[in-house]
Amino acid sequence: MNVYLKNILRFCIIVLLQVLILDKITLRWWSNPSGFPVFIPYVYPLFLLLLPFEMPVWALLLSGFALGISVDAFTNTAGMHACATVLIAYWRTNVLSALLPRKLTEYAGQQPSTKNMGWMPFLVYSTFLIVIHHLLFFTIELWNLSNIGHLLLKTVASTFTTMLLIIVYLLLFTRQDSSRA
Amino acid sequence: MRNFIFFIRRFFNLLLFLTLEVVCIVMIQRTETMQGNDIVSSANAVSGLVYKKQNDVVYYFGLRKMNDSLQNENARLRQLVEQYKSLDTLSDSMVFSKTQIGDTAKHIVKFSEYVYRNARVINNSTNATDNYITINRGTAHGIYKNMAVLSGTGVVGRVEHVSRNFASILSVLSAKQRVSARLKNGAYGLVVWEGNNHKVLTMIDVPQQVNVKKGDSVFTSNYSLYFPPDVLIGTVIKTEQVKKNAMQHIYIRSSTDFYNLQYVYVVENKMSEEKKQLEDSSAKKQ
Repeated sequence: MNVYLKNILRFCIIVLLQVLILDKITLRWWSNPSGFPVFIPYVYPLFLLLLPFEMPVWALLLSGFALGISVDAFTNTAGMHACATVLIAYWRTNVLSALLPRKLTEYAGQQPSTKNMGWMPFLVYSTFLIVIHHLLFFTIELWNLSNIGHLLLKTVASTFTTMLLIIVYLLLFTRQDSSRA
Repeated sequence: MRNFIFFIRRFFNLLLFLTLEVVCIVMIQRTETMQGNDIVSSANAVSGLVYKKQNDVVYYFGLRKMNDSLQNENARLRQLVEQYKSLDTLSDSMVFSKTQIGDTAKHIVKFSEYVYRNARVINNSTNATDNYITINRGTAHGIYKNMAVLSGTGVVGRVEHVSRNFASILSVLSAKQRVSARLKNGAYGLVVWEGNNHKVLTMIDVPQQVNVKKGDSVFTSNYSLYFPPDVLIGTVIKTEQVKKNAMQHIYIRSSTDFYNLQYVYVVENKMSEEKKQLEDSSAKKQ
């Protein structure tokens, strides 16, 4: 499939998944009503993580902005998601080149996946960016550093849940080799 | 100038990044000040459409719950209407009897003469000689034998057997069941079922001189021990003169759709016991 078409399709699916399903579920880990914050896993940055390697930074920034604004339009949080998403779009290239053994230009026509990066580097890459995204987003959302424990707890819980969902996504949608014995 | 272009090209990504972040921050700032941010809000055309489509789908999952709540609402309103109906003929004014809240079944408000409880039909038959309907309410919900059962549109039947959580209703579509009925112009008769069509009931024992037109309504009479008066039974389809006893048969199209029955109301007549006792004791004396 054409790489543009594929990514546009993925954009739509991930945004709809986020706004129609995940935003409706407010998770709470243990049922201590006052202690643990209610949170939502934000899986949509996954779209940004899976864009092709050789994509230039300006294109990443613009698609990150579009992604964030789309989610914002559904959740009435003008600019908050976009702000966090643009930040990780800017850092994505640096994180990838730090993690990969070869130069990014050598991976022409490929996209980050567990197959060409290996599970561990991919998880480090996605966890790092998602922690940054969530931290920035929740900071903007709360806009109150007096309750920093609450903020961190929310970030950690949401990141953990998001990573679980991302791993499930990868397991489901990574194409397996048909020639495998 | 050349240096400037060089600078732009060199730091293009950083500049774009900063521009986008500033745009975001400005947008956040504008929402903070509660100014309308029309483009990026769920009120815009695209996200509004998506949410509407989603609601069209999700709506169906909530239908059962919504139905139940509407049923409760209806039962409550019927109760309220009943309250206005009970006239004390001596004082010639409305009587507002004491209203009690039943503690066993919430959402049921007990009222002086008739108490309405809603129930869902979980089994139904229309093609046997004596048709029974099973509902999901029983003694635990205050259902007892001989209570009248109505649907939203008309008469359904009478409670025959009750267990703890279920009750079976002998429907009007039965050879065993006769409902005392009244025509619009006041003539009385009995409504029976002749057993061939679940849409057609028959009203017997109506004198021939009573003038009946096609389309007239037939209601329950106030002679009935169980049914509340003035509940619609059906409308007249055609009449037939019976020579041998100078009566006429009136065929009625049942107002209740027995085939598609989903929800019913069980009606408790709180005075029925007393009325029956009185009638029995006067019968004994004769």
